[in-house]
Amino acid sequence: MFHSSSHKTYWIFKSEDELELLRCEANQKFCKKIMETPGVSDSIFLKRHEEDVLFRLYEKRLLDFCNVFKPAMPKSVVGTALMYFRRFYLNNSVMEYHPRIILTCAYLSCKVDEFNVSSSQFVANLVHETPAGQERVAEQILEYELLLIQQLNFHLVVHTPYRPMEGLLIDLKTRYPTLENPESLRKNVDDFLTQASLTDIGLLFTPSQIALTAILSSASRAGLNMEYITECLGLKQDKQNLSKMYDSMRMKILMKKYELPNPDEVNVYKQKLERIHAEFVTSSSKRKRGYEEDGHVAKEPRIIEEELSDEDLM
Amino acid sequence: MEQYSILGRIGEGAHGIVFKAKHIETGETVALKKVALRRLEDGIPNQALREIKALQEIEDNQHVVKLKAVFPHGTGFVLVFDYMLSDLSEVIRNSERPLTPAQVKGYMMMLLKGVTFLHHNNIMHRDLKPANLLISSSGHLKIADFGLARLLSEQGERLYSHQVATRAVGCIFGELLNSSPLFPGENDIEQLCCVLRVLGTPTQETWPEMVELPDYNKITFKDNPPIPLEEIVPDTSPQALDLLCKFLVYPSKQRCSAKQALLHPYLFTPPLPSHHSELPIPHRRPPRHRVQAPPPDLSVDLPLKNSLVDPNLLHLWTCP
Repeated sequence: MFHSSSHKTYWIFKSEDELELLRCEANQKFCKKIMETPGVSDSIFLKRHEEDVLFRLYEKRLLDFCNVFKPAMPKSVVGTALMYFRRFYLNNSVMEYHPRIILTCAYLSCKVDEFNVSSSQFVANLVHETPAGQERVAEQILEYELLLIQQLNFHLVVHTPYRPMEGLLIDLKTRYPTLENPESLRKNVDDFLTQASLTDIGLLFTPSQIALTAILSSASRAGLNMEYITECLGLKQDKQNLSKMYDSMRMKILMKKYELPNPDEVNVYKQKLERIHAEFVTSSSKRKRGYEEDGHVAKEPRIIEEELSDEDLM
Repeated sequence: MEQYSILGRIGEGAHGIVFKAKHIETGETVALKKVALRRLEDGIPNQALREIKALQEIEDNQHVVKLKAVFPHGTGFVLVFDYMLSDLSEVIRNSERPLTPAQVKGYMMMLLKGVTFLHHNNIMHRDLKPANLLISSSGHLKIADFGLARLLSEQGERLYSHQVATRAVGCIFGELLNSSPLFPGENDIEQLCCVLRVLGTPTQETWPEMVELPDYNKITFKDNPPIPLEEIVPDTSPQALDLLCKFLVYPSKQRCSAKQALLHPYLFTPPLPSHHSELPIPHRRPPRHRVQAPPPDLSVDLPLKNSLVDPNLLHLWTCP
């Protein structure tokens, strides 16, 4: 149930400012740590907006990877993976942990959502990799798994808007019998939800608020009688509360602000990112695997520095 | 991990070793379930994820084990639970005398409350059995081991419904009444035969939906009339038999839910359910014989210091 969920308790925030503050802190924390090394100039670091460009780049790759995944990935799995990625970088900088963690986000979300694929089946989707390459990526995915679930505070269940959305559609179908082909709303609703998942909307609104806004926005685009729609959804009596229940203006502003990263910028920032990772974050495998305090000596981790090429993820 | 001192090993769980430990700061005794990730092809095991998933998302309930914390450790992570003395299977096996009807009722009441709570939260445990029902030192029963649990919303109400779960409750009920399993099969087929022998082979009349089951007709069984339940669980009150029958009936739609069962006359007719303090408190291991410290001499003529217990001795007692 949503009301007792970790999602509602820990992962819904008050404002965009609050989110930006957390991200700035993560950026500062990393910079400060590296600045302790003598002779480092702060020009090498990524600025907050530069981090953001890379974040969006990898987020888009994650979405594209999930969309062509075989067997077809349910929408809730995709939504959960995107949310993991977003939650992870709320408190961490891309400079500290490489955003190639996207694949681990997708892999963990498959498991948590009971969309069961084995790790070899999962990496078989990296069609541009050789079998040996796939095996290496699989290893890398698992290497980040513990780090990811730890940074998610072990809060694994994400409530995506897809379920409330289905409920609202059923509601419409039963209470608005003259509505021709309510299924035609679905295309726009889906587009809305996908677009929303690439923004902070999921960290600011509850899934049912998002679903409701998606339905209303799709209905309004289809030129339906909005008065009647709100009545059918049982919202009419409560006009004052209606604006509280969904905030389509705020969501739309957030969605309008979204733009795909500019390729030129991407190239510059990516070089910066790779340089930082090569110079300062080399022996991070230990951190990825958690802390070795068992007293055993773990087998020397193979440091994989090659970056997944764009083709890998297409 | 530095926050805990390990006191001993409790056992091996489905996905790791379980330790008894003490939380140093609070002195609380806890159970630590270690999940190791070494050499696991598919990473963090699903069972561990399911356990975290189910227990992170629910509020506290008296009859469901509490996941107190999760933290990374070594190459894996550790789940921290309340420490529980024993489990219901040990209670059934070890009770010198069979449980009294009131005690059986006490356990059933707690079990039904726990199951009702889980179902209300859309959690299907899917592995309810006496060994997964832990007993605290105060006699409370708590449902544990969520390695097979599912959140219902993920898959829709497809195969596994609330009513399927209460069938397992029925089996536990029978085991409590008889002090031995109702259907003691060694494997799935044998188990099925036991069920058919006791409840009778289902027919299209007694269970019309049977034909829709995925493996229907793969094996045919010879027709068997049901054995009357009063022969299976002798010396049992009519209310208990009525409730048991409502749990064991074949068609899951006719089966009684945990919530309905809490209103069954069985729980409201004397003898009333035992209070948890009246239930047997079993021990994990037979109590060890410890050398009894001689009682301190309380003579008023001796110095006060001689009459007090040596604090070092006390320390030894609290850390077995």
